[in-house]
Amino acid sequence: MSKEQTYYVPDGTYWPIIGSIGISILFVGFANQMHGVSWGTPAMLLGFAIVVFMLFGWLGQVVNESVNGVYNQQVDRSFRWGMSWFIFSEVMFFAAFFGALLYARQLSVPWLNGEGNNIFTPDLWNAFSASWQQMAFFAPGTELQSGSVMSFPAIPAGGIANATPADVVDPWGLPALNTLLLLLSGVTLTFAHHALRANHRQQIIGWLLATIALGAAFLGFQVMEYGHAYSEGLKLTSGIYGSTFYMLTGFHGFHVTIGVIMLTVILYRVQKGHFSADNHFGFEGVAWYWHFVDVVWLGLFIFVYWL
Amino acid sequence: MTKILIIIVIIAILTALGFGLIGMLRGGRQGSDKMFKSLVTRVALSVLLFAFVLLAGAMGWIKPNNAILDAPKPQQAQGGYAA
Repeated sequence: MSKEQTYYVPDGTYWPIIGSIGISILFVGFANQMHGVSWGTPAMLLGFAIVVFMLFGWLGQVVNESVNGVYNQQVDRSFRWGMSWFIFSEVMFFAAFFGALLYARQLSVPWLNGEGNNIFTPDLWNAFSASWQQMAFFAPGTELQSGSVMSFPAIPAGGIANATPADVVDPWGLPALNTLLLLLSGVTLTFAHHALRANHRQQIIGWLLATIALGAAFLGFQVMEYGHAYSEGLKLTSGIYGSTFYMLTGFHGFHVTIGVIMLTVILYRVQKGHFSADNHFGFEGVAWYWHFVDVVWLGLFIFVYWL
Repeated sequence: MTKILIIIVIIAILTALGFGLIGMLRGGRQGSDKMFKSLVTRVALSVLLFAFVLLAGAMGWIKPNNAILDAPKPQQAQGGYAA
């Protein structure tokens, strides 16, 4: 038995070179844009457009091959392994950011404040304040900002020392609402999954639409939240809290965006009748991804706001 | 105690998600069943955990993250390095 019979060897394809060209133009454009070169931004946009074109073309080809029954069991297994390694890298990615959050909050900021060692940083720099919510390194003489943000820790009028928990965090506001939205999207996706396994196509479409709508609503509220935080002076540069906050929630929001796009593609494929009750790996991969993104948010909600 | 319970449930959720991944990796009808059941478990646990966290917050069993570490006090700021 020859190898070709057990493993599908695809035809030659031009998509990788198109992808390479697109990515190269994108990054050369980006570098030049950073240097203020006039053609930087147009080149970036062109590169991005080529990458999007490549993704549609390449993934569309894979979908066509799959629908035409070219793939065998071994290709199916390699797709499953590929998705699993991707997921592993995603888990490590978010583990690193959660690790950074816990390390900074539980260890390094207390150390800077003199805990467990012999140096008290305000002695070295008298504007230092060991606050977690907005640990800006204010220039000496700068007044601390006052005001309140819906869900963000804000520094009250009397300064950090007078802050009470109520001034700091409102976990009952948007964060709780967003958690509810994402959890509901997990529930609706599970109903869609069930409908797919039972071959009820209209139900799958309805539940998928609900999942996409909930994901989009989540993103809308995140944008509102960022607008608020930013206008109150919480930025990436606002010390370690601002950095870790935007890093975690920003990358999470990016993943939700990707998830919404992937769910939309799956919705399109369901409408086209690409999946059967027994054969729907595309759906399974995206569903797992969405559940993962959902769990990351739940972890964020609990660790950032409660524990 | 409440915090420990919350962390145990989070670990259970991650475990369910992990079993879902194993099911997806295995494929076929059996793998698909395993994946679906695991994901149902993870959704149910997540909803319960969210409700429990809100209840615990409302009852005062856990407090929202204070987020404020010990702010420097004026007398501390004047002191030299501790020996």
